[in-house]
Amino acid sequence: MAISDVTEYLHLTEEEVEQIGRELDQIRQEVEDSRGAADAAYINRMIKVQRGLAAAGRATLLVGTQFRRTRVPAAVLGGGLLAVAKILENMEIGHNVMHGQWDWMNDPEIHSSNWEWDTAQPAEQWKHSHNYVHHQFTNVLGYDNDIGYGILRMAREQRWSPANLGQPLYNSLLALLFEWGVALHDLDIERIRKGEKDPREMKRQLGQIWRKGRNQVLKDYVVYPVLAGPRWRTVVAADLAANITRNLWSYVIIFCGHFPDGAVHFTEEEIEDETRAEWYLRQVLGAANFEGGPLLHVLSGNLGFQIEHHLFPDLPSNRYAEISERVRALCEKYDIPYTTGPLHRQYGQALRTILKLSVPNSWTSSDQPEPPTPSRDRRRRGDAERPSRRRELGGWSRSSSLARG
Amino acid sequence: MRTPRGMEGPFAWGDATDRATGLDGLERLERRRVTQCALSRVCGVCAEPLGRPIAFVGDAREVGRNAFHAPPLHLDCARDLLAYPGADPGWQVITAGAYEFVRPGRDDTDRRPAFVPVALLGGSSGPQPTSTD
Repeated sequence: MAISDVTEYLHLTEEEVEQIGRELDQIRQEVEDSRGAADAAYINRMIKVQRGLAAAGRATLLVGTQFRRTRVPAAVLGGGLLAVAKILENMEIGHNVMHGQWDWMNDPEIHSSNWEWDTAQPAEQWKHSHNYVHHQFTNVLGYDNDIGYGILRMAREQRWSPANLGQPLYNSLLALLFEWGVALHDLDIERIRKGEKDPREMKRQLGQIWRKGRNQVLKDYVVYPVLAGPRWRTVVAADLAANITRNLWSYVIIFCGHFPDGAVHFTEEEIEDETRAEWYLRQVLGAANFEGGPLLHVLSGNLGFQIEHHLFPDLPSNRYAEISERVRALCEKYDIPYTTGPLHRQYGQALRTILKLSVPNSWTSSDQPEPPTPSRDRRRRGDAERPSRRRELGGWSRSSSLARG
Repeated sequence: MRTPRGMEGPFAWGDATDRATGLDGLERLERRRVTQCALSRVCGVCAEPLGRPIAFVGDAREVGRNAFHAPPLHLDCARDLLAYPGADPGWQVITAGAYEFVRPGRDDTDRRPAFVPVALLGGSSGPQPTSTD
């Protein structure tokens, strides 16, 4: 079984699958050929803005909190500026730089090999757990640890246990403490639970996390508060608020990328020996976009274009918007689901899945509509024969009937 | 040569010796590890995070096509690899600022993924002696 045997693709001939691959290759090539000074200016400007916001936030907190009349507004403003700076640094800068999106500039600072971001997880571990495990095994059950982060049951194929009843609570804690949840991500809690983790590797990773986490805590909760002198409590509170704001925002954006209705889960067999075109198809169906204006997309690291990000994780994020128009047209041309919708709806669907999967499958029904029965002979089908997409949900359904048990 | 803990040979080549045949194993890249190196951005020899510049080793054909099968490496690891038993004497080292990871297509006769270095910085024609003095 291959990815091209997944229900959503059965209407495509093998030649069509390859043609889709060629057209996506062409998009990639054109973006690479046109990559240049304007893109470099974009990331340099973004870093400048982010550092300006961070400096303004820190200065506002240190100075503004010293005076009784300005203490509260300074705490709110400073904390807000700092939160936006952290969001920009993590989402639009750090995440994308570590994918190698800007390596082509050969800039000694803006390079995947040496960027360390403003969050508790060490960059090295992120590049393994996210760039490799998540992007290579996108939505593959048992492989992709982003499916519930080892804490939440996010697919009906996953076995239910009484511990899942606590999902609403776990989910709230994960959202509030997201930075720390991500920090532990590469440890692979599942393997530790099964006793499969190499203890020496675990010790090495824990040491890295300890050092990085300690530095983050020292910076936000010791050094800057100490600089504020008697107003240290206000600065601690503002820094905490900034970190929690960043945590909540990152959590929402990331959960909107793969858990709205329409994002498909796969099995190991489906990714065996997949070709480049089939890999492309899996990325399209395993990811979900959300709609919004340019500011929303920048603040979300352009992960509202999650499909495009998964297709081309190392192309510059500022190009995803233009790429998305072509990818969407391609999906419509070949009648491939392209899952998208407003942010609130995408997150609402993800949250509903979390709540419903906290109880056994038999207690709830799947929100994924049954896919139309596709042809299995892989012959080319006419327009009249092709099922129409369920546009009210922004996409089709999951592939596996087991998911609706 | 710096290798990962518990491994005698370079990471992406698995065990450096094919135990069944007794032959050196540098002809056989482990596909999963190659992909891991590509996406995790770690060196194919020592499995540590890559630095700058990024080095690639390949024969004259790979250098000519600017498409390599071996994963990205540290420059020092690349040089060590050229001197490793079983290394192809025709291997050359090139350096770059970035790379693209190209998965094989259906019609490709060569079913191995390839690396296309970007922002090329230069190359060296063969192994360089490493002095221990």
